[in-house]
Amino acid sequence: MKVSVRTRRTFVAAAAAATMLTLAACGPGDSGEGDGGGDAGGDGGTTTVGFVAVGPEGAWRSANEQNIRDTFTTDAGYDLKYAPATNLDQKSQIDAFTSFVDEGVDVILLSATEGSGWEDSLTRAQEAEIPVILIDRGIEPDDDSLYVTRIAPDNIEVSKSVANWALETFPDGAKYFTLEGPAGVSVVNERNEGWDEVVGAESSFTKVGAQTANWSTDEAKSVVETVLKANNNDIDLIFAQNDEMGLGAALAIEEAGLTPGEDVKIATIDGTKGALEALSEGRLSFVAEYNPLFGDTAVEAVTSALEGADVDSYIIVPSTTFDSPEAATEALPDRKF
Amino acid sequence: MSTATSSTFGERLRNVGRQQFVWAIVAIVLLLVINVIKDPTYLSISYSDNLGGLRGNLVDILRASAPILMIATGMALVIATGGIDLSIGSAMVIAGAVAMEFLSASGSSSLGTAGLALLLALLVAGVLGVVNGVLVSVVGLQPFISTLIMMLAGRGIAKVITGGQNTTATSEPFRWIANGYVVGLPVVVLLAVAIVAVVGLIVRRSALGLMIEAIGIDAEAARLAGVNKRAIIFTVYVAAAVLGGMAGVFATASVMTVDVSNTGNQMELDAILAVVIGGTSLAGGKFSIRGAAVGAVLIATLDKTVVFLGVPSSATPAFKAAVIVILFLIQSPWLHTQLAKLRSRRTTTPTTAEVTA
Repeated sequence: MKVSVRTRRTFVAAAAAATMLTLAACGPGDSGEGDGGGDAGGDGGTTTVGFVAVGPEGAWRSANEQNIRDTFTTDAGYDLKYAPATNLDQKSQIDAFTSFVDEGVDVILLSATEGSGWEDSLTRAQEAEIPVILIDRGIEPDDDSLYVTRIAPDNIEVSKSVANWALETFPDGAKYFTLEGPAGVSVVNERNEGWDEVVGAESSFTKVGAQTANWSTDEAKSVVETVLKANNNDIDLIFAQNDEMGLGAALAIEEAGLTPGEDVKIATIDGTKGALEALSEGRLSFVAEYNPLFGDTAVEAVTSALEGADVDSYIIVPSTTFDSPEAATEALPDRKF
Repeated sequence: MSTATSSTFGERLRNVGRQQFVWAIVAIVLLLVINVIKDPTYLSISYSDNLGGLRGNLVDILRASAPILMIATGMALVIATGGIDLSIGSAMVIAGAVAMEFLSASGSSSLGTAGLALLLALLVAGVLGVVNGVLVSVVGLQPFISTLIMMLAGRGIAKVITGGQNTTATSEPFRWIANGYVVGLPVVVLLAVAIVAVVGLIVRRSALGLMIEAIGIDAEAARLAGVNKRAIIFTVYVAAAVLGGMAGVFATASVMTVDVSNTGNQMELDAILAVVIGGTSLAGGKFSIRGAAVGAVLIATLDKTVVFLGVPSSATPAFKAAVIVILFLIQSPWLHTQLAKLRSRRTTTPTTAEVTA
């Protein structure tokens, strides 16, 4: 008896948890969509767009997803269903993706938290004749027959711009350390690739090491604190693959009694407001923007995809760089993210 | 355990060896030795005028272990009752979010505001513990499920608090909690040690610890023996969440930023690991605060060693796992029985006493 009550309780709780997950997966923008199935033509006025998103991850992601949601508005003739991942979990993304396919939305936008493991889901969408557009994050292996196009700033180009700045700033070479994102993520591989392509060829540049700080400020601070001690503060440059880690590195350098920007220069990628503020104060030395605002490009791609027009398999979003406190101060007032 | 009569040196050594956390200390020492081999000045500690306190790799390790100490202590108590708390990492991020949001909204960097932020952060984290406590002790849900729900909900709440943004604030007194020094020693370490000591004294100097263990061994029998099971289980979950909140304050005050998706992420696993390394059984009924503390320091040492040695990031998880697996093997009773068998075979006097050991 007792056991059965217990089992039932567990079951109810598990069901509750599952419901919460589903609710989270559906999120806002899920308002009254009764006639979803049937013809996926989308010619009845509104186009239903399923957005399998990453969810809160940092300032860059928030700006990106907010921009997409602000562009695909009801006024513009879209019904955007926003489904952020639960705790950056790929499983929850695949679930959301599958339910969009089952619902028969007109288009799916996908920002994958992880690059691999999407073949089955994408094939299902293809069978259901639902075009998929990748937003920012690519998939691995990169089989472009499975999706219409990928819209993203080019990570390799962006990190090359950081590397070129490094070569100019340190004509006699430098000892550098790289703060990476989580191992295996496509962004990390691409940002490494662009950097290594330029800096790897320079024998005057010595790589002291590379370590992941999982995009996070406090982990980056802890890593840099130890790296500085392991190398007797003999590091000229830190390449942080996102802004948050760069800011953590600056804190660690200050605590070690050094001055960021003078003793150790820090270059970061993303270009969030926080980083530009730090750049304007001279705590960071170089910030390469990874432009998140490409909702308009996404709308164009969706329109072409639904019309059946040809779309390039990769649309590169242009990004800028900030190499001085002045440039940062100038850009700060209308920084959106 | 009860072989107090035979106290030869070897016997005593073997008893020490059976104290599981002793092997964790051995592991810490070994890791430090590896670091010293890489750089002979690794252990040196100097006084830094810039910081107003001691500086060195050992100090860094202790500072890094402070948040883990907090959550490991809470987790040890919960596990001792036969439960588990998966929401500790979420308690961390909630506390951090509350503190940062409050500080950045108030815009004041006075001592009072910082104190209020700390109290508020612990209070809100405590509320998470109250929900856990009610779900487990009153409603009677399984701890795994209740705290799993709160783990997911907690991070969601933190995102609501900060509006999904990573929030930054400036408050010198609050920053001092994680980065300041008192008589040359880091505040965060002093606080962590004091808190662990107080919790340890409360549970071990009173009957509370025994009652917690009694519940873990057989909750029904404990209740019949007059232990207020409901109240104790409730208290334990609240304590764990408040300790988690403190860990969150440590983690966010260090950089004065709360990172809603990363702060405290998967820290519950570190806490469970620290507790298990310290010799607390996941089956409940027995716990060691001292052991959990040693486990916490071991995890911090391991994290720092990986960076100091420059282990490539892709190999880091494998390196850590290898160290932990080796440690567990050395600690396992199975290995000790095998060794005892080997030893008795070699001494040619097969006594039955060795088998029971």
